[in-house]
Amino acid sequence: MTAAQFAALSPLVALALAAIAAMMLVPLARIEAAQAAAGAGLLAAVGLVLLRVGAPAAPLGALFTDDGMARFGIAYACLASLGALVFLRTGHPAKEAPSLLVLVALGAATLAGAGHAATLFLGIEIVSLSLIALFAFRLSRQGLEAAYKFLVMSGLASAALLLGTALIYAETGALDFAGWTGHGVLAALGTALLLAGLAFKFSLTPFHMWTPDAFEASPASAAALAGVVSKAAVAIVLLRLFLTADLPEPVWSSGLAALGAASVVVGNLLALRQPQLPRMLGYSTIAHSGYIALILASGAPRAAEAVLFYLGVYAPAMLGALCVSAALGRAPTLPDLHGLMKRRPLEAIALSLSLLSLAGLPAAGGFIGKLYLLHVLVDSGLWTLLAITVAGASLGFFYYARFFTAPFFGHLHEEAEPLPRLDQGLIAVCVVLIVLFGTAPAVLIDVVRLALP
Amino acid sequence: MALIALILLPAIGGFVAFFIAGRGERERWVTIVTFTLMLVLLTAIVAGAPEGRWYAKVSYPWVPSFGISLEFAMDGLSAALIAISAGLGIISVMASWSEIRTQSGLFHACLCWTVAATIGVFLSFDLLIFAFFWEAMLVPAFMLIAVWGHGDREGAALKFLVFNAVAGFGLLAASFALAAMADHMTFNAFELAEMKLGTPVQVWMLLGFSLAFLVKLSVPPFHAWLPEAHTLAPTAGSILLAGVLLKTGAYGLFRFAPMLFPQGLEAVAPYGIALGAAGALYGGLVACGQNDAKRLVAYTSIAHMSIVLMGIAAGVHYAVAGAAVEMIAHSFSASALFLLIGALYERTHTRDLRQLGGLQQIAPRFAAAFALFCSALLALPGTANFVGEALVVVGIFQVNWVFALLALSTLVVSVIYATRLLKGLVFGQPRLDAPVADLTWREYAPVLAMSIATLVIGLYPQSLLALLEPAIKAALVLPQP
Repeated sequence: MTAAQFAALSPLVALALAAIAAMMLVPLARIEAAQAAAGAGLLAAVGLVLLRVGAPAAPLGALFTDDGMARFGIAYACLASLGALVFLRTGHPAKEAPSLLVLVALGAATLAGAGHAATLFLGIEIVSLSLIALFAFRLSRQGLEAAYKFLVMSGLASAALLLGTALIYAETGALDFAGWTGHGVLAALGTALLLAGLAFKFSLTPFHMWTPDAFEASPASAAALAGVVSKAAVAIVLLRLFLTADLPEPVWSSGLAALGAASVVVGNLLALRQPQLPRMLGYSTIAHSGYIALILASGAPRAAEAVLFYLGVYAPAMLGALCVSAALGRAPTLPDLHGLMKRRPLEAIALSLSLLSLAGLPAAGGFIGKLYLLHVLVDSGLWTLLAITVAGASLGFFYYARFFTAPFFGHLHEEAEPLPRLDQGLIAVCVVLIVLFGTAPAVLIDVVRLALP
Repeated sequence: MALIALILLPAIGGFVAFFIAGRGERERWVTIVTFTLMLVLLTAIVAGAPEGRWYAKVSYPWVPSFGISLEFAMDGLSAALIAISAGLGIISVMASWSEIRTQSGLFHACLCWTVAATIGVFLSFDLLIFAFFWEAMLVPAFMLIAVWGHGDREGAALKFLVFNAVAGFGLLAASFALAAMADHMTFNAFELAEMKLGTPVQVWMLLGFSLAFLVKLSVPPFHAWLPEAHTLAPTAGSILLAGVLLKTGAYGLFRFAPMLFPQGLEAVAPYGIALGAAGALYGGLVACGQNDAKRLVAYTSIAHMSIVLMGIAAGVHYAVAGAAVEMIAHSFSASALFLLIGALYERTHTRDLRQLGGLQQIAPRFAAAFALFCSALLALPGTANFVGEALVVVGIFQVNWVFALLALSTLVVSVIYATRLLKGLVFGQPRLDAPVADLTWREYAPVLAMSIATLVIGLYPQSLLALLEPAIKAALVLPQP
């Protein structure tokens, strides 16, 4: 193994070591030690990625790719996991959780660099297995239900993914994405199954059933891992397939377009009358997956840039909203949010800004994300998809507006404890990023440009 | 840079008002000072302006990869509308002095941010920056209605937000389509105006833009959000909605439709005039049937904005000039009426025309001001509204006499609702048992300022017309008779 190869894989090594270290600390020390180990591992992985910005891609064989997109994905997964780790402290007493969290990050990092069916499957399974444990951790009826739903559907999705890969292999004789150039019936069938498997992880309709339950019943940090970290990793896999593989075009793009359009409609419709914040976020994340799928389906020249930018603005908004939701206690509903502005102004502003960003209104980063989405759809002349997007986003205004104004009404009933410093810091970082990406998007666009081939 | 400062000033002023709010009236004074500083800055820019149409121009890249730049420019029309926005901002603070007691800091911040975003709209010549401010102004205005409104304020605010935000997609999609058609990706309106597009394409693009503009202008059938939003908003919200936010729709149509799609506008002009005439009649007739004074004025806004649409669509010099004057005249008359009705509501807790009356006996200053603005509402000669509406009708006569007759009939309807309003509130015997206090100086001063503006423009319109002339010239698309 050359130095360059080692350097390219070092973030994954750092994550794996951190996961092991965090696990070994469980019987020996308090939970804080495991958290510190996990945090250090995640930070080290980010640092190792940042050190190699602009470095030429190391030759890693067929399994891993070491390009800008992979580095972006690894850094993104680690940073978002770090955010989830911060509010893991408030909502999650189990000592094993930090280790599992790092494992999710490891799986996501693997997916970000996956250029081969084996790494794809490996990454998906690492993420899924760790997530199941994280979902179930509360051992409440609902938590177990969420984990069970996820487990069953995850099994089905993995089977679909494997069968799809096998069918594509049967036609193309290759397992690396670059070798997937087939246009026959087998490849078409395989592509459909592959898409179904990935759509499950990406919580695209009709494979979305687990998402709202996971958001409601499991700790907010687990929701963040499923809704941000693993979702971004799958988006990057889809993007890499879009860029490198040559799978049957009708199945690939019309399949993605259909899944995306269905998610936009269903996610937004189901969120419409949802009075519970985490559940609403769960449905809205389905809609956001739909938007990303539509960007990919458009096949526009700037689709890759648009996807990465969308992921970039999506993370601080979702993390901010989930962190506030976690701080408010279990599954806050609309009346629980009333009067938040008076008692806890920082959280009220962070929540409102996050939801504004998810709704895609200006001064928040989500607006620029929406611009990208409209841009690629108009650019490819996909007027039907544009109409569906507009209809979905319009529904979005309804339910987001109900939530982002709630903190300004009425009075808070219960006395609020002050948040820990770290949580406050995370919320502040999210607020700054949302406003920064919304008012000076060139910052994020430059980063995204760096990550693109 | 001065133009960017003009937007940043209220944006920052809003933050200051938000953070220093507490005991005392600090946030109110900060807001007033902010808007006053804006007026000073505006005067300085206009006074130091070079010869020619543009008082100031600035161009600064924002997202170069997208071809988006901060492209700001100001001519007489923008300057007039900005002055009105800042002036009405001050008036809103004074009108809501006793009404707003909860979360006053946030209220004044929303006030400042609404004005900041509308000023962005009045200055932007980059279509995406325009859309950015277009949607940005919805959020603070939404908050104004949702948090400090009356009755079913949440429903009204949601309706406002959803109607306008959705219509904004039309603007965004058409902007992207335009940028995609340019030889290099740009959203700069000056550059896009140079493009030679076929008439059918122009019509489609114009329809996309118009969706946003007509909803904001609240021309029927796009008006459903307006009556509730105006009626249930706090007084300051109604003032800003009528005086400033509706004007962004008129402004967009006035500025960008002739600039970017001259042939398209020419092709749809008859439909535009017809839609405007129908809207003016509809708004006027519905207004006649209202018993809630505020709701009545809200419907007259629909009628008057429809007249603006008629003027712009007519495309001849008189009509376009009339539309420009009507935009500004309506800002004063509608805002003043909202302020007066708001003040009355604070005292009597009713706006029902059937329960009120006889104000000239118990509150003479109030009655005098109210009578003046009712005359403006029916466009009595001597008021600014007369100049606007008369010019529009004269202009439409040059285009088509059938439409002109329709336009004239809307003026007849305006007599009915204005007299109904007058009769219900000012004349007759007082029907309330409790005495009604006359206007305080904080309410009277803004009303006086708006009366003077209405009369000055009405008696000496040349001053305003000279200011607007370059913008009006640029908005003429049809062959002039």
